[in-house]
Amino acid sequence: MKRICLIALALMLLVLLFAWGVLFYPMDAELPSGGSLEAPSAEHWLGTDNLGIDIFAQISKGFFHSLSIGLATALAAFLIGGVLGVAAGYAGGKTDVLVEFLINLFLSVPQLPIMIVAGAFFGQSSLNIICIIAAFSWAPIAKQVRARTMSLRRSGYLVLARSYGGGLWYLFKTHMSRDIMPLLAISSLAVTGRAIVQESSLAFLGLSDPLAKSWGLMIARCTAFKGIYFTNFWTWWLLPPVLSLVLSTLLLRLLTRALESYWLEKE
Amino acid sequence: MKKRELISLFLIICLALSLLSGCQSHVNAPAVTGEEASGETGSGRAAETARLVDTLKLAGGTDWGMPSPYLHVARGPGQAKMRLVFASLLEKDETGDVPWLAESWSFEGNDYSFTLFEGLSFQDGEPLTTEDVAFTIDYFRQYPPVTNTLGVGESFIIESYSIVDDYTITITVKEADADTLSNLGSFVILPKHIWENVEDPYTYNVPDCLVGSGAYMCTGYEGATGSYEFTAFDGWVNGQQAAQRILFVPVSDELLAFENGEIDIASMPADLKDKYMNDPEIGFVEKADDMGYKMLINFEKLPEFLDISLRQGVYAALDRQSIVDNVFRGMGSVGSAGYVPESSLFYNEDVVKYDYDPELAKEALGDKGFEISLLTDDSADGISIAEIVKNGLEAAGMEVTVMAVDSAGRDDRVNKGDYDFAIVGNGGWGNNPPSYMRTLFSDKSKYLSTSPASMGPRGYSNEEMTALAEGQLKETDFEKRKEMFKELELLVSEEIPLIVLANQSSYSIYRQDYYDGWMKTYAYQQAEQNRLSYMVR
Repeated sequence: MKRICLIALALMLLVLLFAWGVLFYPMDAELPSGGSLEAPSAEHWLGTDNLGIDIFAQISKGFFHSLSIGLATALAAFLIGGVLGVAAGYAGGKTDVLVEFLINLFLSVPQLPIMIVAGAFFGQSSLNIICIIAAFSWAPIAKQVRARTMSLRRSGYLVLARSYGGGLWYLFKTHMSRDIMPLLAISSLAVTGRAIVQESSLAFLGLSDPLAKSWGLMIARCTAFKGIYFTNFWTWWLLPPVLSLVLSTLLLRLLTRALESYWLEKE
Repeated sequence: MKKRELISLFLIICLALSLLSGCQSHVNAPAVTGEEASGETGSGRAAETARLVDTLKLAGGTDWGMPSPYLHVARGPGQAKMRLVFASLLEKDETGDVPWLAESWSFEGNDYSFTLFEGLSFQDGEPLTTEDVAFTIDYFRQYPPVTNTLGVGESFIIESYSIVDDYTITITVKEADADTLSNLGSFVILPKHIWENVEDPYTYNVPDCLVGSGAYMCTGYEGATGSYEFTAFDGWVNGQQAAQRILFVPVSDELLAFENGEIDIASMPADLKDKYMNDPEIGFVEKADDMGYKMLINFEKLPEFLDISLRQGVYAALDRQSIVDNVFRGMGSVGSAGYVPESSLFYNEDVVKYDYDPELAKEALGDKGFEISLLTDDSADGISIAEIVKNGLEAAGMEVTVMAVDSAGRDDRVNKGDYDFAIVGNGGWGNNPPSYMRTLFSDKSKYLSTSPASMGPRGYSNEEMTALAEGQLKETDFEKRKEMFKELELLVSEEIPLIVLANQSSYSIYRQDYYDGWMKTYAYQQAEQNRLSYMVR
C-alpha cells in the first residue's frame, strides 16, 4: 500500500507540475514567445523550438493531450472490454463463441501496421487516434473479464441468486462487480500507459493532427530538423519530450503493477 | 496426410507466397547489363572507360517513381533520374545549350535541324537514329509524357518533321519563339523498337521501359526504400561518364550519412554554415533563392477571395520574415509578390511589397467568418510554414485547419483542385529565364502538366496577365523579353493571383578531394539533378 501511495504521489506531482505549466506558466504553447531555438533560461525554462514556441508550455500541453487520449482510450476499452467480457462469460453459448472469436482476432493481428493503415485512411484527428487505439485495447481486457466471469458464474452464491430469479444487471451489481471492477480498473490503467506511447508513435509517424502539441509530434519535428545532432538544440528540444514520455509511462506502469500485486495479496 | 498437417502445409505455402509477392516490389529493372550492351554495340569503348570515381552516392529514401518518361514523379528529383537514363537532343551547361544526342543543330524560321552523333545506340544495343526521334515526336503527340516540353493537343508545338537521313532530322514548329530550341532540345528519345508496340505507356512498367538512350542505365530501383542504382552505359558516345555507378541510398539523417562517408553530397543545414565554410576539404554549390514556397487560393471553392482586398489582407496577415528566420534559419528571402525572386536577373524592383500588418489583416478578414482548410506537405519545413500561416490567419480572424499529407498526395490534390488554401514548395525558382511565369500565370498554359511549376491560380482569370505571359515567348530580343517578364511581375504583384511566401537558399556540400564535378547550368541550380554533374568535363 505504501508503494502505491508513493507512486501515486509521484504521478500527482507530475500532473500538478504540468497543470501549473498549462494554467499559470506565462508562455503560450501555440504561439511564438521568443526567438528561434533559444536555450533554456529563466524566461523559457526549457528553451524554445525552431518557431520560437516555448518548450515547457508545449510539454505541459502535450501531457494533457496525451493523457486525455490515454484516458479516453482506457474508458472506451473499459466499456467495450467489460461489457463483452461479462456478456461472453455469463451467457456462454453462441455469444461466448462470437466474443471469443473477436478477442482472438484482435489479439492475433499485428497492431502497429493496422493502426498506421487505419490512421492514414481515416485522416489526421485526435478522435480517430482514440478510436484506432481503443479498437486494439479492449481485447485483452475482455479476455480477462470473460475468464473471471466464467469462474464466478459457477460459484454457489451466484447459482443460488440466479435460481431466485436475479437478472444479469442485478447479479453484476450485487455479486460480481466486487470481483470484476478492480480487474477492469487495473487493466484499463495499463491501457492508459500503452495508449500514451501508441499515440506518440502514431504522431511521430505523422498520423495525428499535424499541429497538435503532442510529445510524439515534438520528437518528430525535432528529429526532422536538419543537422540537429551537430548542434546542441537537441538537449532542450528533444530530451524533454522523450524524458516526459518515459517518466509518465513508467509511473503509470509501476502504479498498475503495484495495484495488481496489492489486489492479488488482498484476494 | 492428416488434416492438421494439411493445414500446416497450406499455411506454409501461403507464407512463402506472401514473402515472394513482397519481393516483387523490388524491381531490378534493367534490361541488360553494361557488359552486354557494350558487347553488342561493338564500339570498343569499354576499354576506354576510365571513370573519375567508381561510385557516387546520394541520399535516397524517397520514391520518385520508376525512371521511365511515363512513370517518374513530376518533380525535379524524379525528372532528373529519368533524364540520366533517357537522353534528349541537347543539354545545358553553365552558359548555353550544348550537344547531347545531337552533335550540331541549326534553325531558320520555323525549321530546326538536328544532326545526331554517329554510332549512337540504345542501352540494349539497338542503334539510335532519326527514325527514333521521329517516332518519339509522334508518340509524345499521342501520349504526353510526365515531363513534357512539346505541349499537348492543340498546343503541341511541332507541325511536322522530315527525316533527311539516319543522322539528320528537320523539325518544323507551328510558331518559333524564344523557348523553341530549348523545348525541342529537351524531350527525351524513346526506342521505337520497344515503344511502337506499347499501347498504354502510363502503365507500362516492365523492364523494357527502362531501356534508355542516356549516359547511365538504371540497374536497380526499389520504390519502397527509395533506392536507385545507375550504371555508366559503355555505348554512350558523347563524352565520358564521371562515375561507374550512381547510387541513391536510403539514409535516416542526411548529414550524419555525409559525415560517415555513406553519401558524397548533402545539403548543408544553415546552423552549420561556419563549421563547413571553414573546412578546406569541403566544396559548395550555392543555390540562391532556388527553393520557393507559394500559397494557392482555390478561387473555385472560395470565390469571395476574388475580391482583391481579401488577398491583400492575407498578405498582411502573414509574418513571412519569420519563415525565413525560423524555418530557413536565415538562409533565404521573403518572397517577392511578383514571384521571381530578388536574386534573379529578371527581378523587378518595382513590384508591390506587402508588409506584415496584423491590424490591416484584421480589418480585411476579421468579420467575414472564413473557415478554411490549409493543405501542406508533411515535411518538417512544410508543417512549420503551415503553422506560421495558420497563426497569422487565425490572428486575423479566420479559422484554419491544417491538413498535412505526403508531397505526392498534396500535388495530386492541388492538381485536382481538392483544397481551399494549399502551400506548395518546389525548386527551380532561380531558373533563368523564369519560364515558369508562363505556366503559372497564363490562362492558356497553367495545369497543362502536373508539375508544381504549372500549379497556378485555380478559378482565376486575367487576360492582361495571360497576354504578357504568352507574349514574352514570342520576343527573341533578350532585353525586351526581360522587360516583359518584369512587367508581368509587376502585374502579378498588383493583382495577387497567388501568395508568394518565401524563398530558401541552400548549399550542397561535397568532399572536393573525392569528386569535384558538381555543376549548375545557366538555367538550373540543383547540381545533384544536372546530368553534366555526372560527366567528365
